Amino acid sequence: MTNTEVLLQQLIIGLSNGMIIALIALGYTMVYGIVELINFAHGDLFMLGSFLALTIVGMLGLDQVPEPALISWGFVPLLIAVPLFCGILNWGVDRLAYRPLRNAPRLAPLVSAIGVSFVFVNIGLFWGGLRMDVFNDGVAAASPKDFPWIVASGNLLGEASNIIVTWNEVFVFGITLPLMIALTLAVKFTRIGKAMRAVAQNPTAAQLMGIDVDRVIGATFLIGGALAGAASVVYSSYNHTIYFQMGFRVGMDAFTAAVLGGIGSLPGALLGGLVIGIIRAMSDQYIATEWTNVVVFAILIIVLTFRPSGLLGAPAREKV
Amino acid sequence: MRTGFIVGLLGLAMLSGCDSGGPSQPGNENAPSDSGNRNVIKIVSSLPHTGSANAQITTIVNGIKLAIDEAGGKVGDFTIEFEAWDDASPERGQWDPAVELANAQKAVADPDVMAYIGTFNSGAAKNSMPILNKAGLLMVSPANTWPGLTKPGVGEANEPMIYRPSGKITYYRVVPADDIQGLVAAQWAKELGCTRVYVLHDRELYGKGIATMFQESSGPLGLEIVGVDGIDPKASNYRSLVTKIKQTNPELVYFGGTTQTNAGQIAKDLRAGGLDVKFMVPDGCFEDAFIESAGAANLEGNTFITFGGLPADKLTGKGAEYYENYKKKYNNEPQAYSAYGYESARAVLEAIRIAGKKDRDAISAACGQIKDFDGLLGKWSFDENGDITTKTLSGNTVKNGKFEFVKILGQ
Amino acid sequence: MLDVIRRVLVLRAGWFLLAIALVLPLVDGFLPREYQFAGLMRPIFILAILGLGLNVVTGYTGLLNLGLAAFMAIGAYSYGILTCDIYPFQLGFWTALTLTIGIGALAGIVLGLPTIRLRGDYLAIVTLGFGEMMQDSLKNLESITQGTQGINPLPSPTLFGYQFSTEIWVPWYYLLLALLAAVVLFSRNLEHSRVGRSWIAIREDEIAATCMGVNPVKVKLLAFSVGAALAAMSGALWASYLGSTGEPSNYDFQISIIALCMVIIGGMGNISGVLLGAVVMIGFNSIILVKLTTILAQKGLIDTQNVLTVPSNWKYMIFGFALILTMRFKPEGLLPSRQVQAELHEMQEDARARKKNCAK
Repeated sequence: MTNTEVLLQQLIIGLSNGMIIALIALGYTMVYGIVELINFAHGDLFMLGSFLALTIVGMLGLDQVPEPALISWGFVPLLIAVPLFCGILNWGVDRLAYRPLRNAPRLAPLVSAIGVSFVFVNIGLFWGGLRMDVFNDGVAAASPKDFPWIVASGNLLGEASNIIVTWNEVFVFGITLPLMIALTLAVKFTRIGKAMRAVAQNPTAAQLMGIDVDRVIGATFLIGGALAGAASVVYSSYNHTIYFQMGFRVGMDAFTAAVLGGIGSLPGALLGGLVIGIIRAMSDQYIATEWTNVVVFAILIIVLTFRPSGLLGAPAREKV
Repeated sequence: MRTGFIVGLLGLAMLSGCDSGGPSQPGNENAPSDSGNRNVIKIVSSLPHTGSANAQITTIVNGIKLAIDEAGGKVGDFTIEFEAWDDASPERGQWDPAVELANAQKAVADPDVMAYIGTFNSGAAKNSMPILNKAGLLMVSPANTWPGLTKPGVGEANEPMIYRPSGKITYYRVVPADDIQGLVAAQWAKELGCTRVYVLHDRELYGKGIATMFQESSGPLGLEIVGVDGIDPKASNYRSLVTKIKQTNPELVYFGGTTQTNAGQIAKDLRAGGLDVKFMVPDGCFEDAFIESAGAANLEGNTFITFGGLPADKLTGKGAEYYENYKKKYNNEPQAYSAYGYESARAVLEAIRIAGKKDRDAISAACGQIKDFDGLLGKWSFDENGDITTKTLSGNTVKNGKFEFVKILGQ
Repeated sequence: MLDVIRRVLVLRAGWFLLAIALVLPLVDGFLPREYQFAGLMRPIFILAILGLGLNVVTGYTGLLNLGLAAFMAIGAYSYGILTCDIYPFQLGFWTALTLTIGIGALAGIVLGLPTIRLRGDYLAIVTLGFGEMMQDSLKNLESITQGTQGINPLPSPTLFGYQFSTEIWVPWYYLLLALLAAVVLFSRNLEHSRVGRSWIAIREDEIAATCMGVNPVKVKLLAFSVGAALAAMSGALWASYLGSTGEPSNYDFQISIIALCMVIIGGMGNISGVLLGAVVMIGFNSIILVKLTTILAQKGLIDTQNVLTVPSNWKYMIFGFALILTMRFKPEGLLPSRQVQAELHEMQEDARARKKNCAK
């Protein structure tokens, strides 16, 4: 491989990973923008989505069929069921755990979110004990699970090419990009989107203008959760391994991305995700894999030192 | 008043130290005062039940139980009781040093406990060995492979004497250590016709240790190490790393690590990254969970697993007997380390038989005297470091979604 | 009457806990072996020190630090390097402990300097990231830290010529209890000092506090540093208790979160609350669940191979619901500090206080 080829390949990998991170980061950034809550359970919600995806794949028998020529029809039910599940779950959690705490001390909902994350992790552990269709006495509950190929793995540039681009990468971009564009447009132009922005700016004023604040927050959780669900389908079909503790690392990457881009900002989440994906790939290639995490966080700290509100975040105004 | 209160506390500490220290430390000289039942000897195991090694651990414990049952639950006049302890915690998902330490202390404090079967992970052994050694309690491990635990000059400079504060040997293991496994793995890699090797490890004690042993053995054999990297076991994928590996054109990628440290993901990404190389892993991956997590298709035919022993169904003689009995009793297939669970329990029972009395020091010393024992892999003894003398290792591969025995290595 | 008992419990909870802790080892000996638990209390004392460290940062000053485990790791490894016989220092327990606390304080300042100006949640992610960086760095810098080998064996402390040892737990118990008591006294004095009051002022209203002449950067930095120093102290104690630093991954995010839960469930900014939080969290985690699992397994009531039937596998579920329910029904924690309590229940408290004054 020539140096250019290496660079290109790493860029492709970094961007693909970055897109997935960005999709999850959107959930963090939306919720933070509107209720100023670091939703710790978001990564674990994503993990549960992956387990549901694996269960559905098992029920449809997709783990028994050979790799599809292009893309398995199975992704249609996956992309409907999993986001629906995650969205409703996230909405329900907000309804039961966070909503009663809107006027509590600031850390209360955060701790509640940690609690929800614990519950999710535990459910994930038990879920891992169920094999696709048979109850397996929960023996290998904690070990990583294989997620079958539902997208073709052949190289689009031909088998001889040094650079590998498969339908998997296309699938990643094909799902995440439209979702992000749709989200941005929705927040800009729809009624609920406008209401969201209003609540994010000033909940009291929004309420005085006749906006049902709780409904808007609920909708935010629903959409953020659904995006996490979509991300879990994309992630599982791209990486092929799921396990009950994966929510932490993926969630942390996504949260870092949201903060790096400027938490509360939708384009910021995308930018942050892509930056982290690319930094990871470049660090793996040019520094050393074992230092990649350190590099990511060092860059985060440096960026925040010079731009305390992230790359695209609006500078914080103190309300006196 | 406050200072007085602290001084008071310290004073109390001293007093109680002398007071209650007695019964909680069944010392070597003063026989435990409440030694429970005179004729009951308790054997405990400390293995990581919680976490992804559980399936493997379960068959180890079954192996131990089988050995005790076959002895009729008795040695001489002593009734043998067995308890399986967990040294893992859910938050780690694997062994937890605080839990392992608590187990060791619990074992030392219980005057009926005469033997400690464990640990699974070498890192855990480092925590409990000095404590058990000071109490003279026999420890037999079915799975620790870090060479430094027993062998001078292989691990760290102060090993293994730091694990033997009493100066006596109380720790024995029935598996060959990693220095042997690393060497035969390198030999096998050469036999497979590979000359360029990329070494990965998970930066854990076991994984890094065996990868280093592999690396050190490679040089003299003429294998060229084209790169070494420590991975992040929690990463979502290793595609960037695979791209980097690809530039070095290796013929084989060796991963020192386990199922839990993401061996499955590496296997997948090697294939997804279009890197058509052989993939070799040590026995930390010799469990069904590895195939389950990697996806059988990704391992088919080009994955090579070394294991410090023979797969259960390839055992002969005493070993074949064990395999039959196991299947009859538990109605399933034992996993790789089950045989060692069985073997450690038999070693413990033999030590109790030789000692003939309920005394920790005598039993520990007796274990070292085991000679020409009729084991699963033929006759063996413990050498002067407490290592087993058999050095039978096997090479395995994955065929049709199952492990398949290829050959005996290192003989 | 009930009200009096409740008030006494709230205000004097620390003393009650201390009294119970003092007699516990004596009572414990009378329990059947499988029910004895006093020896398992030691992690509670060590982690309570960590909790008190976080209490300074989060409880008093209101800064969310999610990377406290990193400072605990710094403490453990500094202690290891200063005492272990493979390094040139080979200091005694007390010297090494003192130095470790100093190193922790310094590390707090080093991390704090560039980041302390960040707003609340940005600080949270930076500290979280610092925790992850620390784990990886400790793993990678093998020539200094021994990597995943951990630094061992570490010598046990000596006190007035008495040599502690890992097997005899009672002296350890009282040593750790005494150190914890010392930290409690230190925290309490700090709370009522000028610095402590400016911390609380910053938490309540940074702008108002600044206007009153409090230098927020300096004060926050000091809080960060004290928190880090206490975390380092707990790390050093943890390492000497284990006789090894263990693997770097032992000082992961879970530890930071457990400390946070201690502080918040117990009661932010209240020392007794944090102690109670430590007892509840760690006690449940490493005593009740473990004992329950062992005893049930011994009696053959559960199948240890089945994930669902083992109590300790339900831990996260139980913890999670406990956190959610505490926040839902008692967001100020079990034993809140008077200030936090007052904010939340200003009206009721005022009325009650007025009644009391009238009665006098």
